[in-house]
Amino acid sequence: MKRETREYNLDWMLWSSVVSGSKVMDGTDKEYQALLRLIPNFRGIIDTILRQGEPGRLFMKMGAEYLDDIKAVHEKGKKLCFGTFVASKDLFYAFDNVVPAWAEILTVFATMMMRKGTAEYMDYCCEAGFTETSCSAQRGSVGAYLAGLAEKPDFLVCGAPGICDTNANAMQFMSEYLDIPLFQLTFPSNLTGRRITDYQRKDYRALIAFVEEHAGSRLDEDRLRSVLAEHRRQDEIINEIFDLTRLKPCPMPPIFNLFLYAGRLQSSGRKSLTALLESMLRVVRENAKAGRAGTVSGRERARLLMCYIDHYTTDGRFWQWVDSQDISLLPTLIFTFFNRGINYAEERQDQTYEIDTSTMDAMIDSLADINSRMPMVKQLRGPYDAAGMWREDLFCMTRLMKPDFAVYLGSMGCRNSYGVNKLIQRDAERFGLPTLLLFADAFDDRVASWEFCVEKISEFMHVRGIVS
Amino acid sequence: MIGTMREAAQNLQNAFVREWKKDGGKTVGYSCTFIPEEIIHAAGLLPFRLRGIGTTSMSIGDSYFGAVNCSLPKCILQLAGQGSYTFLDGAIITNGCDSMRRLEECWRKASEDHRGTLPEYYEYFSVPHKSVDYSVEFYEEELRNMVGTLERHFRCTVSEQSLKKSISLYNKGRTLLQKLDELRFGRDVPISGEDAMAVLIAAHAMPQERFIEMLEGVIEGLGKAPSVSGGKKRLMLMGSASDDMDFIHVIEEAGAIVVADTVCYGSRTYSALVDEESDPLHALSSHYLKHSICPRMLGYYRTRLSYVMDLIRKARVDGVILQNVRFCDLHGSENGIFERDLEAAGIPCMRLEREYGPLTETGRISMRIDAFMERISTHCSSIGETTSDAARTRQQTI
Repeated sequence: MKRETREYNLDWMLWSSVVSGSKVMDGTDKEYQALLRLIPNFRGIIDTILRQGEPGRLFMKMGAEYLDDIKAVHEKGKKLCFGTFVASKDLFYAFDNVVPAWAEILTVFATMMMRKGTAEYMDYCCEAGFTETSCSAQRGSVGAYLAGLAEKPDFLVCGAPGICDTNANAMQFMSEYLDIPLFQLTFPSNLTGRRITDYQRKDYRALIAFVEEHAGSRLDEDRLRSVLAEHRRQDEIINEIFDLTRLKPCPMPPIFNLFLYAGRLQSSGRKSLTALLESMLRVVRENAKAGRAGTVSGRERARLLMCYIDHYTTDGRFWQWVDSQDISLLPTLIFTFFNRGINYAEERQDQTYEIDTSTMDAMIDSLADINSRMPMVKQLRGPYDAAGMWREDLFCMTRLMKPDFAVYLGSMGCRNSYGVNKLIQRDAERFGLPTLLLFADAFDDRVASWEFCVEKISEFMHVRGIVS
Repeated sequence: MIGTMREAAQNLQNAFVREWKKDGGKTVGYSCTFIPEEIIHAAGLLPFRLRGIGTTSMSIGDSYFGAVNCSLPKCILQLAGQGSYTFLDGAIITNGCDSMRRLEECWRKASEDHRGTLPEYYEYFSVPHKSVDYSVEFYEEELRNMVGTLERHFRCTVSEQSLKKSISLYNKGRTLLQKLDELRFGRDVPISGEDAMAVLIAAHAMPQERFIEMLEGVIEGLGKAPSVSGGKKRLMLMGSASDDMDFIHVIEEAGAIVVADTVCYGSRTYSALVDEESDPLHALSSHYLKHSICPRMLGYYRTRLSYVMDLIRKARVDGVILQNVRFCDLHGSENGIFERDLEAAGIPCMRLEREYGPLTETGRISMRIDAFMERISTHCSSIGETTSDAARTRQQTI
């Protein structure tokens, strides 16, 4: 790792960039334009976000709040819980002295804002003993933690065993390497049924006991009720946004898709997310009323469904490109959540969660149910064509949102999706959905450049007659 | 006798399987050590561990699996797709790891293109990733379901009595394998690692009754056999699944003898016996979840380290080869931690990434092993006996 990379902690750098970025619109437009010149490596993504107006500013403020908590965690006498995105945040926000930091979120921030992405942190993982084939989504930030370039976590939580080996493995490695206690939530291969629900609820109660032990505090009932009530309100807003997303042209700006899932993954149950969602809903409603697409031009040439994850290339060029091509971005499949009432779960209510705040036990059960339906946890736990799994979700989403094409993009560490992505492609094509498999890494441009990805997607769109 | 076991280990449809089938016996393949063979046996079926040996092409494996999946399930799929597993009447695939669990779908879908290659009885089996009370309970229920599907499909009955009988039989096999280990751990080793691997593989490729009969003979013979370990460095093999005797051959050609291993297909399955007193399904559930040293059981590294350290001491190991099949992150990354901790304890380690399947990289592997041998030839002669005080203290600390 280069000396200059070691000069600042990763969490500090991200905090500094995002906090500053969240303030740039507080001044005049002239000041804003001048500031953009000073941040050549990520002015594109900052501008793309802030160009959205109020939702963009709120998204940045939400990110700043999140990163400020992480950076100052020990200064404020709190405990840092480090984990992976598949564990829902609600529980941790219900403790007044726990700050959750999720590896993938930090990796995405760093990938989009740092000139060379997270390459050096990823490589540091390999120096420490990780396999180079492990998932870049975790390696991108875990490398900094292994190198001591971030606030040391007090405990680790992982919700990936049964869902993703490399994800779970990253936490196990980190736990042993840094000697930090670890709890792993595990998942059976089925999603529904009494036995499965019971198992998941027991496992979740064990997680709570672990967090209480290592946080040195008790889960607060009132605080939990308030977090879950906020979560429920957020779900209601998202339900309406997704209903409007079905319209042609799609009134949701492409980058709102990122706001939606990033917001849920990082700030679920917090008021800052509710404010963002309310603001997003106003924009989407206005666009729908005016019959405009959410793209900058207001036009829609094609509707794209990313059937796994998005591409987080430096400076967030994925969203810039999609918007510039007048492509509407539909909800990214693996980042979907399954709250009661969401349109893509219509007629599949048994696969959704419901929030019950009546008693402590009911709330804990709700948390366990939310968590067992988190992105990836829900769709990748069993055979891809079993009920409630990846293929069913793809088909339901396709029927509802009517994409013109789908693109698969993952990471080189993604054994689980690579194990069946050719099967998914074949089934999707038979279903009538043109589907492209991109051999690239969402978090690591070194595998395939973003230019390569754009070329492949463009070529596919032309060859398949999606655009003329 | 070992020659017969080698034959069984080197061929899928070996003489024992052919004989079993000739008499109308049914065979059920399984993908992972988390499937209790006892249950399949108690159903009157022959349990057969799926392997990927003898593949000469990856045309089918690569058509369904992705580019970043491990070559073991790909080789199994290749064999399945080309019809090499048509002798199976059933197959059970588990979520042992992410690549292996996707074999379930890939095989099923491949059979739509390669007709007649999917066994009639074909099941996906979910195994928990932790060994706490509620996961043992969950696993027990899964085992109960497995019994039900076997009974329905093969029109057989798996009684408590037949399960107990099978458990007792397999425990006998485990006890004999422990005796074989004792011989391998001695100062004078009467069996090469390559031959020992043949025995271990054969344990899951022929009827257990026959295996036990033969193993008794092998152990008796080895008791009087001369040492084959004179002047050789004693190595232990750890990491990803390995059933390639040629790989062991390459290691031993460099002047070493493999005296122990912790690999899948190797010594992973018999360090403890199944409780014969309690309810058989509960005993199996508890045994298979609590006694595994597979890194898929996440969060149990310290237990595995302690097991490995114990094995190193008992087998007087001079050095450890930590190998992983490319894209096997479970073993690959855990090897990184093992390397740190074992080296700190004064035990030389070599990490090696390789492909499963035909040994196409013998030259590279030989060179790496030669270099490792050179390194350990200057190291103390045996960790168990002559490590420095400092190293011994570190071992105790760990």
